[in-house]
Amino acid sequence: MSEGALPKEDAVLRVDDLQKSFGGLAATDHATFAVERGTITGLIGPNGAGKSTLFNLISGFYEPDGGTVEVNGTDVTGMEPYEVAEQGLIRTFQTPRKLEGMTVREAMLVGPRKQPGESFLTLFTSPGTVAESESANLAEAERILEDFEIDHLATQPATDISGGQMKLVELARAMLAEPEVLLLDEPVAGVNPTLAKKLKEQIRRLNEQGTTFLLIEHDMEFVMDLADPIVVLDQGHVLTEGTPEGVRNDQRVIDAYLGGGA
Amino acid sequence: MSLLDDPKAAFADLSRPERWVLGVSVAFVLFLLVAMLTGALGPTYFLFLVGLAGMYALLSFGLNAQWGFTGLINFSVAAFFGIGAYGTALMTASGSPIAGGFSPLVGLAVALVVALALALLIGIPTLRLRADYLAIASLGLAEVVRLIVLNERWLTNGSAGLRGIPGFFDGWPVLSTFPEAMPGLRLVVIPGSPVILETAFWQAALNVLLVLAFAGAAYFVLRRAHRSPWGRVLRTIRSDEDLARALGKNTYSFKMQSFVLGSLIMALAGVFYAHLNLYVGPGDLDPITTFYAWVAVILGGSGSNRGALFGGIVIVTIREGTRFLNDVALPIDPAPLRLLLIGVVIVAVMRYRPQGVLPPQRELIWPSAVDGGGTPETPDSGVRERKGGDDDE
Repeated sequence: MSEGALPKEDAVLRVDDLQKSFGGLAATDHATFAVERGTITGLIGPNGAGKSTLFNLISGFYEPDGGTVEVNGTDVTGMEPYEVAEQGLIRTFQTPRKLEGMTVREAMLVGPRKQPGESFLTLFTSPGTVAESESANLAEAERILEDFEIDHLATQPATDISGGQMKLVELARAMLAEPEVLLLDEPVAGVNPTLAKKLKEQIRRLNEQGTTFLLIEHDMEFVMDLADPIVVLDQGHVLTEGTPEGVRNDQRVIDAYLGGGA
Repeated sequence: MSLLDDPKAAFADLSRPERWVLGVSVAFVLFLLVAMLTGALGPTYFLFLVGLAGMYALLSFGLNAQWGFTGLINFSVAAFFGIGAYGTALMTASGSPIAGGFSPLVGLAVALVVALALALLIGIPTLRLRADYLAIASLGLAEVVRLIVLNERWLTNGSAGLRGIPGFFDGWPVLSTFPEAMPGLRLVVIPGSPVILETAFWQAALNVLLVLAFAGAAYFVLRRAHRSPWGRVLRTIRSDEDLARALGKNTYSFKMQSFVLGSLIMALAGVFYAHLNLYVGPGDLDPITTFYAWVAVILGGSGSNRGALFGGIVIVTIREGTRFLNDVALPIDPAPLRLLLIGVVIVAVMRYRPQGVLPPQRELIWPSAVDGGGTPETPDSGVRERKGGDDDE
């Protein structure tokens, strides 16, 4: 059944026999796959294949009906999203989330995990520690914005930038959380080609620096160029997994996309 | 203080609405001073009004910490206010059916503990759910608390209320006898209309001191919290809770902290009220208090601490200012006029300035981090202190 089981020595994310139904619809139907450390793994499939549901299950937003999710060898099945994030798995959303009333760099500063200033008592017992970490985080945020070549936006209201820039900011912010594996839900949907190219370069750069990616994308050219391997999802289960080349020529994948059914 | 060195620059740094509010506040304070000197406004009554303004400011601070920061919809402001008032009254009042006679400090502690327990009680089941559930539950809670206070006579004296509450400073060294010890003063600034300061005035001055201490402490705590990473997580939750969760924030815990903090500040307002009024009754738990607090926060600008302060003062001005209209022949009674005025104000604000009069507008990053980062942003602490000072008068 699950042909996605390529041999994977060092999986940062392992999904085993995951199931989720909404009423009578099996949105995730015994899905099994793994993401090898250091890869950019693509997750594709026709509309309604259950890609976003799978993301929600992995990141703890949905509770699975069965099966397990492991991050770095730790079983995170049924954990709260923040607990999954603590294991090093961070996700972004399909539609960019706007933070009203914040500037871009302020919105970036939400990213770092375990900030001392996030404890109410520390604010009053040791404001020095808070100031120190805030300075460090601010410097880091500005450095990352520079790397992404959007440092000119730092003091702009986070709601006033374009959709594509928002996607860049989201990616940049996710990096501040220092993820080991980053789940991107359609990073270039609705983004103009220039920015999409930029995003691709950034993802590749970050991957070379050691971040593992799992990304959902409908833009075939984008995903085929960037990701390897690619996992194909259809009707809630893993149809196949392989190189971009292999997947592109797989008859079952073509059938699935043309609506032939699995 | 950069303000003292260069008041012009500090003024130029203000936004237009800030200048406007500053101007109106100064004019208003001058107007009150003139009214006092000419004898139109008794100084003791004036201090009572300042006390009330501080009380409403506390209520709106509390609601701002919940709704303005985190987006928690709490319709039980009156309940937490009432818990604060009854908490201390039951401990200290001579007419208390259960305890009574304790020091007001014990009353304060008990009020805060009961408010904390109530906040946890309502927060634990609802804060994990969507925002609207808290709204519904808090609406019910307010009624439940009010009905318990009204009907459980063995505990609360029922509709008779609690009498014989001591002043907050009773039993303290120096301060408890301070009003009697102060000489009666007779100030003649304008010939023919002397201003007389007597024991009642000094008593009222003590109350103002108390509310300034409460409100000042609350403001200090909230301002620091608002600009911190803690406050930033709350604002993220307000905009998009899922984003905060995805970035590894335990949103349930943050929402609970925000809810408890706000509830304690509301209870503080109740404690002050009990020792100001020296009587509490079930009528003090009427939902109108909740309504006033919401109007104050929305009017001032949700999420803004100084906005909440401003809103609280406006509410008292409308509530008490309309009493003076009794002397003027009007086609309608002042009482319904009061609510009408508040309605008109809120409609006008929503129509012309939906973000409120003084919304939070500068970016909120821990001050020293921004200074240290070498960014050319002017820190606004001096300006805010100045504003706080002006509004408190």
